[in-house]
Amino acid sequence: MFFWILVAVLTAAVAAVLLLPLLRAGGRSNVDDANDAEVYRDQLEELKRDEAAGLIGKAEAELARAEIARRLIAATAREGASKDGRQPASARRRNLLAQALIIVVMPAVGLCLYLSAGHPELPAQPLAARLANPGSDVNILIAKAEAHLAENPDDGAGWDILAPIYYRNGRIEDSANAYREAMRVLGPSAARLDGYAEALIALSGGIVTKDAREALQQSQALDAGNPRTRFYLALALEQEGRRDEALAAFEALAKDSPADAPWLPLVNRHVAGLSRGEQAKPPGNPDAGQVAAADEMSPDDRRQMIAGMVESLASRLQEDPDNFEGWMRIIRSYAVLDQRQAAEDALRTALKNFPPQSENGRQLLALAGELAIKVEGSEQ
Amino acid sequence: MIIEIGHYALILVLATSIVQSLLPLAGTLRNDPALMAVAPAAATAGFLLTLFSFFVLTFAYVTSDFSVRNVWENSHSLKPMIYKVSGVWGNHEGSMMLWLLILAFFSALVATFGGNLPDRLKANVLAVQGWITAAFALFILLTSNPFLRLDPAPGEGKDLNPILQDVGLAIHPPLLYLGYVGFSVCFSFAIAALIDGRIDAAWARWVRPWALMAWSFLTAGIAMGSYWAYYELGWGGWWFWDPVENASFMPWLAGTALLHSALVMEKREALKIWTVLLAILTFSLSLLGTFLVRSGVLTSVHAFATDPTRGVFILAILIVFIGGALSLFAFRAPALKAGGLFAPMSREGALVFNNLILTTAAATVLTGTLYPLVLESLTGEKISVGAPFFNMTFGLLMVPLLLAVPFGPLLAWKRGDILAAGQRLFAAVGVGLALAAIVQWMHGGGPVLAYFGLALGFYMLAGSVTDLALRAGVGKVSAGIARKRLFGLPGSAFGTALAHFGVGVTVIGVVAVTAFETEHVVEMKPGATVSAGGYTLTFDGIRQGRGPNYTEESGHFSISRGGVKTSEVWSSKRLYTARRMPTTEAGIRTFGLSQLYVSLGDHMGDGGIVVRVWWKPMILCIWLGALIMMAGGAVSLFDRRLRIGAPQGARTTKAAARLEAAE
Repeated sequence: MFFWILVAVLTAAVAAVLLLPLLRAGGRSNVDDANDAEVYRDQLEELKRDEAAGLIGKAEAELARAEIARRLIAATAREGASKDGRQPASARRRNLLAQALIIVVMPAVGLCLYLSAGHPELPAQPLAARLANPGSDVNILIAKAEAHLAENPDDGAGWDILAPIYYRNGRIEDSANAYREAMRVLGPSAARLDGYAEALIALSGGIVTKDAREALQQSQALDAGNPRTRFYLALALEQEGRRDEALAAFEALAKDSPADAPWLPLVNRHVAGLSRGEQAKPPGNPDAGQVAAADEMSPDDRRQMIAGMVESLASRLQEDPDNFEGWMRIIRSYAVLDQRQAAEDALRTALKNFPPQSENGRQLLALAGELAIKVEGSEQ
Repeated sequence: MIIEIGHYALILVLATSIVQSLLPLAGTLRNDPALMAVAPAAATAGFLLTLFSFFVLTFAYVTSDFSVRNVWENSHSLKPMIYKVSGVWGNHEGSMMLWLLILAFFSALVATFGGNLPDRLKANVLAVQGWITAAFALFILLTSNPFLRLDPAPGEGKDLNPILQDVGLAIHPPLLYLGYVGFSVCFSFAIAALIDGRIDAAWARWVRPWALMAWSFLTAGIAMGSYWAYYELGWGGWWFWDPVENASFMPWLAGTALLHSALVMEKREALKIWTVLLAILTFSLSLLGTFLVRSGVLTSVHAFATDPTRGVFILAILIVFIGGALSLFAFRAPALKAGGLFAPMSREGALVFNNLILTTAAATVLTGTLYPLVLESLTGEKISVGAPFFNMTFGLLMVPLLLAVPFGPLLAWKRGDILAAGQRLFAAVGVGLALAAIVQWMHGGGPVLAYFGLALGFYMLAGSVTDLALRAGVGKVSAGIARKRLFGLPGSAFGTALAHFGVGVTVIGVVAVTAFETEHVVEMKPGATVSAGGYTLTFDGIRQGRGPNYTEESGHFSISRGGVKTSEVWSSKRLYTARRMPTTEAGIRTFGLSQLYVSLGDHMGDGGIVVRVWWKPMILCIWLGALIMMAGGAVSLFDRRLRIGAPQGARTTKAAARLEAAE
């Protein structure tokens, strides 16, 4: 509210400054020729001063004086001729029109442009104030942790905390790096290896790469029963085309999971897909060849391949918008590729097909929350 | 909230400038003083709003407010304070804000100090300034708004391009813009004269100081940019004929011509129409310079705008302003009264000669800069017009101009005597040749042409001194009186002499560096030596270090002469951590006006490192000359002297009187 009062005051003040000359109409006008005459008189004065100071010869001064005088006479003659009466009535009408223009233009231009681009609700956020009182400002907490870790790179616990936060904020590459640092300092653990593998998988657009698989296998050696590890390893088998082994792994995982485990629907979908003998159901799932290729690629090439896969997935989703898994995948992919806008658009379209109240809708919203993607209605 | 108020103030600048561009013009068309009086009020209000808005943006930078997108993109909390502030104009959006601020500042100056201007002229000038302000404000708000926000705000910024994190680049853009935008006032005066169809007596009195001021700043800005490129880019060159450099050099050439023709106009009321055209051309070239650097057509060291929509917008601005102004000129120029007659061999004639060469030179540079661009956009063929083209064409054009420079001030107004002037310059020619011969004897070797180049430079120095000495009457009157007369000379006489002296100093520097510099590229291990310019450099080793936002490795070199250690120098390579970008910090040691320039290259496998060593004789003369030119401009600016030409008396009285009568 205070902001809008300030805006109103500012607009009114500027408009008043512009209106003032119009309201004071009828002031003396500085007629051009009078002004010219003034300049020439000025020049005559200067000439006199310079002659006295010896800066100009007598003869030259005489000639210059004649030259100026001739211009002066011409100017005064014009001045006398150009004094005429004005039409006060039409001038007053013009004046009113001008006042109206100012009164309309100032707020109209101001508000139109401001409302289209401004953020009246956002306060200024100087870094010092944010650092002093971070509250729930995730970015600041991350920045503080980064500053701390830059000074103390051997604080393994710090890396441990930061890695999953990075992942949730869509900074997957930083997350993988943080997991790597944590393992360098504190040694591998199942949680770190899983997180690291998950980050690598997200980085390659859902493909369980060789590095990721190795991390998962190492994690399984440390903690055999971890469902997350088992799920990704089963996924790896499926992507490699070892469908029977994958089916067995998924079924075993489903059997060992409690009935209300949140990952159960996802596992069951894989079981169903594999047992029906279909090609991997969610479109855009990479085939074994792509998986193998991705292992060999440089990060740039891999990124490019992912972008291509995402594109083809997007076009398939346009034809088949009921593919829930496809939506989940593409939203995550956009977030990984740092295309926030595209991620938001995809989420919005997906929510049209799967209303937020439905089971699938809730899963979409949960994913959005995890990736820090916001659209209207996603924050309830 | 302060950020949002700043944003709103910027929008109000647009609204104010719309009023400023419409009402005063209606006032002059209808002869209504009330409407005309809106102009100064709007200009002042517009300036205060722009200033506030700019301060808010600066505040956002200083406090590292990353909720402002522009700050997030171009700043970093660890950056030293000076680069936080200079980061405001180290990027596209902010530099456009700086442009707007300077434009509004000049409009406000005209509004505040224009009391002695005729009302109609003042209203028209400010209306034209209003158009330019409106165009740029709209450009900023629609395509380059620095006040866009991010929510949630990131925790750290992306840092300013590290090669821009430098004191030189902190002050280079403001100087350059003071020059570019200063010419907008000359432009506005020209357009105002065309709109009204008359040129008042006050016109030239107003245009010349603006041209002088803008020219002085532009000179300083170009010199600064050249020196920055020299020490920061690590290539050891001081001028590359790079399109971005040419973009600032073209308005400088046209501005130099404008300065001289405004001089004629102010004193003799001659060359009126030509001056108007030059004022339009100079500002057009300034706009074109902005376009070349900002639209992303050019990939160059600091062409940081890459968005084509901006290019289209600027192209529209260019077409409207340049095309509009030239059309107006075509329609209205015949209505202007031409004034003042003069004989071809006179001060006026010399200035016309100066104008012809300078505009031709500007056209040459323009061709060399735009031709590759046009060719590429039409045929897709990429060609490079490099230094050889410019050195041949531009260099050849400059020789007659430089030879003629000392003659100009010695010729009388209206009708001069070139033989008399030539006789008076005998001494200067002698001094030039003698000094060049002495250099040849001391230094030996080198191309013969180089010594003629040096002689030309020395001759210009001596010519400027001759000018002052003759004005003081040295040789004709006693020493005491001569000294008194010398100090009594008007500022503009000193300004002329200083500026021409500065050109001579620059010429000497350019010739010396071009002809006598030496370059060594060697692989060095600790203990290795290389000699350059009579000095011996010993490589002592590499040290790792870190600054606030970068890590660096610095090589240490001892410099000795004749076996005695005289000096030492560090040369470094930096890696800016936020952008993972390397920069070179060349090691430079100054000996008198010459410099030793050491730059580190890549590591070799066997522990050695590639080192480039240049010996740059008299290189500081290049920029020193520019500083002297600028000082000349400043001295001349503060001269409040008789502004009318006094014809030479005695012998030429009759001829002069005849010419007077014809006027």
